[in-house]
Amino acid sequence: MKTRSKLLLLGLAALCAVGSAFAQAKKRGELNLFAWSEYIPQAVLDGFTRETGIKVNYETYSSGEEMLAKMMARRARFDLIQPPDYIAEALIKNGQLTPIDREKLKNFGNLLPEFLNMPHDPEQQFTVPYMVGTVGIVVNTEKVKEPVRGYADLFAPKHAGRIVVVDDGRELATAALYTLGKGLNDFSKENLAAIRPVLAEWFKRVKLFDSDSPKTALLNGDVDLGLVWGGEAALLWKENKKFEYVLPAEGAHLFVDLLAIPRRARNVENAHLFIDYILRPEVSKLISDDFPYTNPNGAARKLLSPEQLANPASYPKTDRKLDTFRYLGEDVAEAIDKLVTDLKNAR
Amino acid sequence: MIEFESVTKRFGSFTAVDAVSLHVREGEFLTLLGPSGCGKTTLLRMLSGFETPDSGAIRIAGEDVTALPPYRRNVNQVFQSYALFPHMSVRANIAFGLRMQKVPKAEAARRVAEVVELVALGGFEDRMPHQLSGGQRQRVALARALVPGPAVLLLDEPLSALDAKLRKQMQVELKRLQKRLGMTFVFVTHDQEEALTMSDRIAVMRGGRIEQLGTPTEIYHRPGSGFVAEFVGEANLLAAERVGGGAGEAVVVRLEGGLELRVAAAAWPGGAARARVSVRPEKVCVAKRPIEGAENVFQATITEEIFQGAFDHLVLRTDAGTVLTAVVPNESAIMEALHEGDRVWCGLHLDDIVVLGP
Amino acid sequence: MHGLPGAFSANPHARRPGAWGWWLLAPMLAWLLLFVVAPMGILVAYSFGSRGMLGDVEFGFSWDSYARIADPIYLRIFARSIGYAALTTALCVLIGFPAAWFIARRGPGWRERLLLLVMIPFWTSFLIRTYAWIAILRSEGLLNAVLKSSGAVPHVFAEPLELLYTPAAVVIGLVYVYLPFVILPVYASAEKLDGVLIEAAHDLGAGPLRVFREVILPLTWPGVAAGMMLVFVPAIGMFAITDLLGGARVSMIGNVIQNQFTKALNFPFGAALGVVFTLLFVVSFALLQWLGRRKDETAKAR
Repeated sequence: MKTRSKLLLLGLAALCAVGSAFAQAKKRGELNLFAWSEYIPQAVLDGFTRETGIKVNYETYSSGEEMLAKMMARRARFDLIQPPDYIAEALIKNGQLTPIDREKLKNFGNLLPEFLNMPHDPEQQFTVPYMVGTVGIVVNTEKVKEPVRGYADLFAPKHAGRIVVVDDGRELATAALYTLGKGLNDFSKENLAAIRPVLAEWFKRVKLFDSDSPKTALLNGDVDLGLVWGGEAALLWKENKKFEYVLPAEGAHLFVDLLAIPRRARNVENAHLFIDYILRPEVSKLISDDFPYTNPNGAARKLLSPEQLANPASYPKTDRKLDTFRYLGEDVAEAIDKLVTDLKNAR
Repeated sequence: MIEFESVTKRFGSFTAVDAVSLHVREGEFLTLLGPSGCGKTTLLRMLSGFETPDSGAIRIAGEDVTALPPYRRNVNQVFQSYALFPHMSVRANIAFGLRMQKVPKAEAARRVAEVVELVALGGFEDRMPHQLSGGQRQRVALARALVPGPAVLLLDEPLSALDAKLRKQMQVELKRLQKRLGMTFVFVTHDQEEALTMSDRIAVMRGGRIEQLGTPTEIYHRPGSGFVAEFVGEANLLAAERVGGGAGEAVVVRLEGGLELRVAAAAWPGGAARARVSVRPEKVCVAKRPIEGAENVFQATITEEIFQGAFDHLVLRTDAGTVLTAVVPNESAIMEALHEGDRVWCGLHLDDIVVLGP
Repeated sequence: MHGLPGAFSANPHARRPGAWGWWLLAPMLAWLLLFVVAPMGILVAYSFGSRGMLGDVEFGFSWDSYARIADPIYLRIFARSIGYAALTTALCVLIGFPAAWFIARRGPGWRERLLLLVMIPFWTSFLIRTYAWIAILRSEGLLNAVLKSSGAVPHVFAEPLELLYTPAAVVIGLVYVYLPFVILPVYASAEKLDGVLIEAAHDLGAGPLRVFREVILPLTWPGVAAGMMLVFVPAIGMFAITDLLGGARVSMIGNVIQNQFTKALNFPFGAALGVVFTLLFVVSFALLQWLGRRKDETAKAR
């Protein structure tokens, strides 16, 4: 009995030691960051910690919905999140975000006005734009000689088995809506039924669904065409000019990835420090170097090279006004997922 | 029945069986006897088909089986470890061979019942092997090998895992069974006593060759070599030198140590001056009075007495200086007692001295 | 007696655990409670709830999520997942059994070296190894390069082998990942099998096939059954390989469950799928147990 209670004491002592170590880390200051995988350069995180002494705990996700699910499951865990526009909209509507204190962001003025006060956050109270992008078509012009202008050309029968697309039901469904001439946020029952045969045709011709790194299959030559994130396409163009980027003729939209602070964040001060750090032109440039999406930071754009600014996938030349996704509710998300699941298995 | 014709088997550079020729007669109980590594097990395994000879031929009942796989040979084996199938009941184990031969179920059941009776395993048919004693397992292994009705039954040291008492009992039973069935048994053992008890003939093996082939009596009383004499039973093996022509049918030899004995002239090899002789300890007659009727009578002192139950083991030092061992029945009320340090008379019959050649 | 090894074999000599026995078991019981029973409970609770705002779950008692599983879409996916898992299991056993048998019949030195080869893949992360398969199976990958240079494919038909992002690639990946889980348990039981039993069966007139059926298979069955469980169960739920090697073109049940939590935000449905999936394991486990017992009984009775 004696030995047993001694062991218990030892165990308790060990637990206390571990606990106090945790407590100390808390005091030094930390930032629990929840962001897209492959979206924030390590150099940026390191630079922030070096300057402020704040430790950054970095967790990642690979879809906006995944972020939402994990955030809601562990409400108090995160201090700063990186939601896409339509997810942020839902969070704002449900009162899940802490307002941004503009006073604490002395670099806020660097942002271009065209990326502010967008539909997801009309008053610009809760979010700060991180990066902006499009979803478009990449063509390996060495292998594909005919011009590809839109979804109809991309999913033409002759390209069967040579296509990679992002594994994202909403993106694909939206592309189908465009081809039918419908609005990008109009997922009525009739429209859902209408896009079904379109997607079914397309899916037969897709070789690979990949959201994480669709550029890899293109680079490797496993596929010759793709419907991919603009940033991925920009990296391909940087690698080899044979990869041409096209905004689909039928319709294209903008996505804005944002920085936001959850309602129950514990380190609100640190979150603001981090946002302001990101807004510095030289820091924002570092992000553009690694992830060449459209940078909404006007001051940072001035630091970019002519080559970077000429990248058609980063800064597509278009006169069109590009809209953004709106939050449509869980029923639509589920309907789209079911449709995609069904079509993938229909073959 | 079985014919080994100049059969050789090598494992790497080691010759396990070296040009052995052997004829096993129909219905006989033949034992391959020898120390471990003598080639007896390899010879048996070539007969069952688990090893293939490098050269030579093996015939069973006139059929050349040299290249035949084990499952096409009409021989069955009782394994040293019994090798009972642990996932089958006693009945299933015994019936296995019949099932492989596709014997109709009813007939198979009858034959299994017969052999169960034969080996006295009635009532154990539904037990699993791990529920049996060593002796019972042994009987199952025997029954399993017998029931397909092989031309030859091979037994690879089947009794070595049993305790001494059970082993003795099984020896007798096995011999009885073999006589009753009239089946040819080839039995492998390193136990000379077992071989002597059970065999019709014994092939003593050494270094991959057959050293001597003969009936147990021949092997015991007329060992062909020092090796056989020593391996089978006990023996006083002594160097001898011819010292006199002797009268008529005897020659006089001097043994190492100095004792002079008369030996049958016919047994002494031609004009040889030296040879080795073997004397079984129980042939040496020991008494406190002079012994009559023996060709060789000499005096000795008992230097050591080892009590062995029914027998006493005596170490004798003859007056001439030769050391001999003798085995005598233990004293009874009407017999005189012999003890360490006693001066005794010894007698040895001419014919009990086996001359082994130079 | 030859069902699954371990806790399930009814050992007639087993004693009831004393107080100390329970103490020894305590860490494992705690572990089971914390990481198996509790999560399972949460899963069951979720599955009867309904979906709330932003992926929240409103607890209640509703069979809706289970009713949704009856939708042909999901039934087809269940059937397909089972099909893939069954094919993978069959191939793993077909390849793994001879390999395990071969290793078990070597001398001790060779045995250790060969077993090491089987276990080396565990030193590297599963994902990295799967990416390696992408490099092998690509149209311009290692396999096609080897085929081309070896001249195995006539140059007239110089079309490269299109394996990556096909069902075949998925099966190759699954078999590759799960093969050791058949080899190791089969090896464990094959190594215990006394070679003299095989000789005895041969001696009694059984040819190689009969020996396999009558002696080798029954006696290595515990290992085979364990291996089959270790492959079949996780293979049904595998989703990373279908994404990486199958190009996410085909959904397995694992993908569907994953999607409920990361895309469709329907936790109750995902949980219900998980519960049904778990029940499926229990059923296949029981089936294998029963098969093993039946095998035993017929062997005993014959």
